[in-house]
Amino acid sequence: MSDTHLHIDGITKRFGDVTALDNIDLRVERGAFVCLLGPSGCGKTTLLRIIAGFEKASQGRMMLDGTDITNLAPHKRGFGMVFQSLALFPHMSVAQNIAYGLKLRKASKAEQRDRVEELLTLIELPQIADRPVSALSGGQRQRVAIARALAIRPQLFLLDEPLSALDAKLRDSMQIELRRLQQKFGVTTVLVTHDQTEAMMLADELVVLNDGHIQQAAPPSTVYQSPANPFVADFIGAANLMPATASAAGTLIVLGQDTGLPVPHHPGSTLRAAVRAENIQLHSVNGSGQGMAQVEFSRNLGPVTEWLVSAQGQEIRVRGVTGFGAAPQVGDQVNLALDAGRISVFTT
Amino acid sequence: MSNSTLTRKQALAFAAPAFIAILPFFVACLYILRFSLSGEQGRIEGFSIDAYRNLMTPFFGRSVWLTLRLAFFATVIALMMAVPLAFLLTTLKRPVARRTLTVIILLPMILNLLVQAYGWILLLGPSGALNTVLRNLGIIDRPLFLLFNETGVLLGLIQTSLPLAVFPIVSAVRAISQEHLEAASSLGASNWRIFRDVTLPLLRPALLGAASICFAFNASAFAVPLLLGGRRVQMMGVAIRDMISPLFNWSGAAAAGMILIVMTLFLMIFSAWLVRLTTEKTKG
Amino acid sequence: MRVGLLPAQGGSYRWVMLTLATMGILISALPVAVVTLMSFSAAETSGFPPSEFSLRWYGEVARMFSNEDASSAQSVVDSTLTSLLVAVIVMMISTVVCVPLAYALARGERRIRAGMELLFTLPLVFPLVMLGIAFLLIAEGLAWELGIWRIIIPHIALVLPFVLRNCLSAMGGISVELEEAAISLGAPPLRAIWDIVVPLMKAGILAGLIFALIISFNEFTITFFMYTIDVSTLPIWMYSRTVSSLDPSTLALSVYIIAADVILILLVDKLIAGRANLF
Repeated sequence: MSDTHLHIDGITKRFGDVTALDNIDLRVERGAFVCLLGPSGCGKTTLLRIIAGFEKASQGRMMLDGTDITNLAPHKRGFGMVFQSLALFPHMSVAQNIAYGLKLRKASKAEQRDRVEELLTLIELPQIADRPVSALSGGQRQRVAIARALAIRPQLFLLDEPLSALDAKLRDSMQIELRRLQQKFGVTTVLVTHDQTEAMMLADELVVLNDGHIQQAAPPSTVYQSPANPFVADFIGAANLMPATASAAGTLIVLGQDTGLPVPHHPGSTLRAAVRAENIQLHSVNGSGQGMAQVEFSRNLGPVTEWLVSAQGQEIRVRGVTGFGAAPQVGDQVNLALDAGRISVFTT
Repeated sequence: MSNSTLTRKQALAFAAPAFIAILPFFVACLYILRFSLSGEQGRIEGFSIDAYRNLMTPFFGRSVWLTLRLAFFATVIALMMAVPLAFLLTTLKRPVARRTLTVIILLPMILNLLVQAYGWILLLGPSGALNTVLRNLGIIDRPLFLLFNETGVLLGLIQTSLPLAVFPIVSAVRAISQEHLEAASSLGASNWRIFRDVTLPLLRPALLGAASICFAFNASAFAVPLLLGGRRVQMMGVAIRDMISPLFNWSGAAAAGMILIVMTLFLMIFSAWLVRLTTEKTKG
Repeated sequence: MRVGLLPAQGGSYRWVMLTLATMGILISALPVAVVTLMSFSAAETSGFPPSEFSLRWYGEVARMFSNEDASSAQSVVDSTLTSLLVAVIVMMISTVVCVPLAYALARGERRIRAGMELLFTLPLVFPLVMLGIAFLLIAEGLAWELGIWRIIIPHIALVLPFVLRNCLSAMGGISVELEEAAISLGAPPLRAIWDIVVPLMKAGILAGLIFALIISFNEFTITFFMYTIDVSTLPIWMYSRTVSSLDPSTLALSVYIIAADVILILLVDKLIAGRANLF
């Protein structure tokens, strides 16, 4: 069932003394949409540029359909790429931009025209073929850049933060558009982004990078629900990271409370627990009783309300659906109920 | 990090033709240096510093002094006019006006120097425009002699070096934001105070750079003193030429040339050093 | 009150600045203006002001060019043709070598670029007399006859700073991603440069071309040392003709040159349209 299209095999990249990528192994399935996600400087763009051939890996190899392409010149790879700046050729019209790759492949004039027309219809901009690139709006440029890369029927479709320059609303609609086009073409896609919402929404497979290492490579829901390590837990959806320990009965103790979650660690060993804000519930303490925590701050974000509570010197973020359950005010004493099934436990 | 689509070898290949094109220039520089140290006057043979020693005459000293003096005054006057011209160029809104001014300022630097010499002769000559006007107004009886002396050369130098002063200053003026001026004005500074306390300090690096290029250009001028000064204004350029043409003292000319080159290079390095000094001060 | 470099109500400040600027304009423009005015004089001599105006000297220039006196060793037609030929060759060679150099420098390390820029600026501040003498000495020392190249070679060194400056500023706005985009679409690197970078540099290249043309065509000092009986340019012809006295037909010829230069400068100015500086 597994059908590996691109195999990144032990890629390392050093710039002088700095190791940007350290022994990266990754298999990309045919037709999959992979997002490389990480903070700036994590090496994600370098990895994409190595895949495209614009950087040479210091070590390791890359296989496409079992063929070694490590040393193949970038222009012979036939990967369509969308750049951060989009890099539309300013001296060419929209049609010339889209047809450029076909012209290089010596496609006939008629063939070029048909393909341009087909792509412009697909990106729903059939009437702009003869316009200069400078006359396009942000979203139109975006679509043309995507169409240009797809025009050459690429083996791989690479995107380097292509949506980062758009405003929030346009970005949202372009994400949907991008995913739609990718599925229509069935092209294996690698997208680099630092925006986790974008990555969650687009990816079949999410690859979280930090410090030149892959932290976790899994479907977005898996990365979200069971982060592989504290970095991923913290980076994706900002979980609460709390010190924890194992009880004599082999269950997890967080904030002095036994969660009942069985853990395979020695009693008393130092652990860390990650719980997402929405997996914690607040219970108001009646009267003047002491609770586990005190509400420091609350804000209404519309559909959800967010609280910051302090418990044992820790600041913990809690989210709940507005108007549903308890709605404690600043200064109130509260108890916390952690959803035991949604706790990730780490030893480091 | 490699930013280029070229390999190192390809980059070298890209640069190679330009190096070949400029190579004769460097060969010429070395050739002059070698010739100035030649033991013979007319060809390269042996080593000697006689050529330099023979230059230590009052005549050559006067020429050096004249060159420095004229270049200095021409530079100062050109800068005094270049600053307001740069203001004007950046202030002009209408493209036609801006373009006209650009052409007027730039033309003297690249136009055939002969044509400009004609212009000065027609303007300042004994029967030229200025003398005719002054005589008709009854201000003078006999024509003023403004040509073939230092006045004429000075005017010519100012005219030809003015564009070299204006354009570097224009780019520096563009970098001064309106907000700088408004900030100073809101604190109560008058126009002259703004000019002295804000504009001039911001322009200082550009002014120094422009001054050094202007000075180097003026000090090594040849055509202007030749055409407007005649034999009487022996700036170094003309003096060097006279060593060759009637005297055939090639090594002497080369040595004098080396002195001229060293003088201008020294000045440019000094001003680059001054620029660095002042910019570091404003940064710190 | 609006503040500015030249404020509308500026009292003594505005007055001084405008006076100085006016002096600058006069000193720049008057010689050219007088030459132009006098070229329309009907008189034989260059007395000011002209009592009558005519186009007779322009006709004289036309006659000079049409009635070529084959016996004269240094005819104006020969000089003009040589000047043009030299200028065109200088223009082409300097541009052809500067475009790839500008590319390599703009994409290379910053330190190398700064050093190279300095190196290629040197001819600008090097005393022209010395260059003239040095090139003359070398040319005389060579075993073979250089012909027209004895003028072309020094001129190239002279115009390189201007051409390179223009090409470099043209490279400034062209991002590497554009080339990479072309490469990712299948263009070999050199093809990407040809298809993408060169067209985008076009304005800067043209500006450099014109600059080289103007400077070479008007160059006097180096040519003054390098010219021979066979190879001479228009400025040298004008010098030899007017060494003693001014001939009104030379003024008319000057006006043709002025007009050509003005048109070319306007072209350059339009091409680089405020994006870059002339120097």
